[in-house]
Amino acid sequence: MSEAVAELPAQASSWSGFRSAQIGWRNLWRNKRRTWLTSGGIAFAILLVMFSMAMQHGQYAAMMENATTLISGHVQVQATQYIDSERFEHTIDEASVLRRQLLALPDVVAIAPRVEAFALVSSDERSFAAQILGIDVAAEAATVRLLDMIDDGRVPAGPDEAVIGEKLARNLDVAVGGELVILGAQKHGGVAALVVNVVGIISSGMPDLDRSLLLMPIAAVQNAFGLGDEVHTLAIRIASLEDSAAVTKQLASRVPADITVRNWNEVLPGLEQAIEVDRLGGLIMYGLIIILVTFSVVNTFIMLVFERTREFGMLLAIGMRPFGIVGLVLWEAFFVWLVGAAIGAGIAIAIILGLADVGLYMGEAMEAMAAQYYMPPRLYPAFTTEVLLVSPLILLLGTQLAALIPALRIRRLRPVEALRSE
Amino acid sequence: MSDVVVRCSGVTRTYQDNAVPVVALQGVDFVVKRGEFVSLAGPSGSGKTTLLNLIGGLDRPDSGTVEVDGVTLNDLSESELSDLRLHQMGFVFQSYNLIPVLSAQENVEFIMQLQGVAADERRERASSLLKDLGLASMAGRRPGELSGGQQQRAAVARAIVTNPVLLLADEPSANLDSGTTQELLELLRTLNERQGVTIITATHDPMVMGYSKRQVNLRDGEIVEDNSSRAA
Ligand SMILES: Nc1ncnc2c1ncn2[C@@H]1O[C@H](COP(=O)(O)OP(=O)(O)O)[C@@H](O)[C@H]1O
Ligand SMILES: [Mg+2]
Repeated sequence: MSEAVAELPAQASSWSGFRSAQIGWRNLWRNKRRTWLTSGGIAFAILLVMFSMAMQHGQYAAMMENATTLISGHVQVQATQYIDSERFEHTIDEASVLRRQLLALPDVVAIAPRVEAFALVSSDERSFAAQILGIDVAAEAATVRLLDMIDDGRVPAGPDEAVIGEKLARNLDVAVGGELVILGAQKHGGVAALVVNVVGIISSGMPDLDRSLLLMPIAAVQNAFGLGDEVHTLAIRIASLEDSAAVTKQLASRVPADITVRNWNEVLPGLEQAIEVDRLGGLIMYGLIIILVTFSVVNTFIMLVFERTREFGMLLAIGMRPFGIVGLVLWEAFFVWLVGAAIGAGIAIAIILGLADVGLYMGEAMEAMAAQYYMPPRLYPAFTTEVLLVSPLILLLGTQLAALIPALRIRRLRPVEALRSE
Repeated sequence: MSDVVVRCSGVTRTYQDNAVPVVALQGVDFVVKRGEFVSLAGPSGSGKTTLLNLIGGLDRPDSGTVEVDGVTLNDLSESELSDLRLHQMGFVFQSYNLIPVLSAQENVEFIMQLQGVAADERRERASSLLKDLGLASMAGRRPGELSGGQQQRAAVARAIVTNPVLLLADEPSANLDSGTTQELLELLRTLNERQGVTIITATHDPMVMGYSKRQVNLRDGEIVEDNSSRAA
């Protein structure tokens, strides 16, 4: 006769999730204060994490854009051997042809050709080693902000004009209008000699550059150092930094085999590391916030399961399966999350959108520091899918787990004992 | 179909959870026939609830057997017992019978939903039963908005809407005044007489005993008196 029981319709298949969800939603409002506190905690965590993440992403975007458009460019093209050895003779041949080809690509906005040489620079009294950078003034201005940093004088125009670093000028004891002699080694061993007038002083705030940089028109440097249509570097500005990895790949397929194309993160590995370290710090903070809130949810559901022991006992007694009851609790946890997430994300999105145009002023101290690193004084939060999804989804998982841990006690609940409990 | 709905043979139950084991039932033999209205009477602690729980498949005996409608409950797994309770039993407890966030109508529908009854049929059966029980105007109210007597009526509706083999009621009148108790008992008697519902209640309320056709007295876990005279 026990088959009679086995033949009864299975509960799991007939149990519709709708009534479960409905009960879960209504249960939410049995203890309004507790629900608001728990959902409020979730809302606060989501608001905090979303907003911080948006600011962080905005800051990284600004840092990357500013750092790459200062000198290095978004992407760089160099002879592979030059990257490895930094030796003067490893140049890109027929550079103007390659430059024209690459400029024709749709994502490429500007390309600055550069020749980089070391030489001895002398004034009347003193001599110092300098980094000679031969540049195409117009292309350079279209690619990076290097020339914006000339704060005394003007850009070099003629073949005998130079701009030098502010510290180098002091060391050499020259000012705008002074005269310098440059002595170096040519590609094939001859002596490179130049006499130039100082037409500008550049002060970048970066000690290395200010101590050693000397800018000149590229043709004069190529001439003096025995180079033909050769450069050491093509610094490239692309339409959008976000696409730099893809554009790098595309460029790499267009250059000769002995030439290497590098994305900004290879050219400036320190920048990416700094961002990674900061990101990790952020993640640890977010993790702590989320764990804290999850614990408060665990607490709420321990109390809730405890308070409803008699009710669960009744449900078990009338033949509801333990997992059906666990399901009710999980629905309730889902709605606690939903209310919190809607409020938290709603406020965060409103703030982020509100600040997207005006940005957030970081204060005077930050402004001074930002100016030194050519960062904007305002930070603009960035909206990415990561910002939008990560904290709500992690908290969804967190609240479900937080509810599941106490709810699993229901599996071991004996209806007779549950009904006796007060 | 056998006439016997419940057969308990040599049933014992001892609670071991405390330091001192408590013997709640010691060798109970008990038979209930279809259509009976039995009240288990006896002082508090005499084992009424324990016996009712064993018959309802909520608990298992330490020895002896419990058969309901020909099925030996001892042989069933937990989930089989759960399904048996859902499909064969109707329970009315002293209190906390209903889901507080569902209306009377929804509470009655709920158990049918667990059984997999289609939505239209659920609504139909719940409404007409609540109407029969005089709760038509209360169908949309939640338990908190019902009086104690109305709650117990709704609980009876929830218990019998599935047409169970047995209706088990443990101290159903404990929280009711005598007027409301009488109404509830009239309802139980009507269900028993008109629809042949087999009812077992556990109670120490003399009024409940008066309404039942058969009174079984328990004392210290043993049946000391079985007054079947009114069963005939
Ligand atoms: N879950 C339990 N754990 C321990 N002792 C129990 C438990 N349930 C009942 N008892 C004890 O078993 C005896 C019989 O209880 P019960 O069947 O509830 O009696 P009644 O319903 O007649 O008042 C009492 O002494 C009671 O204290
Ligand atoms: Mg009792």
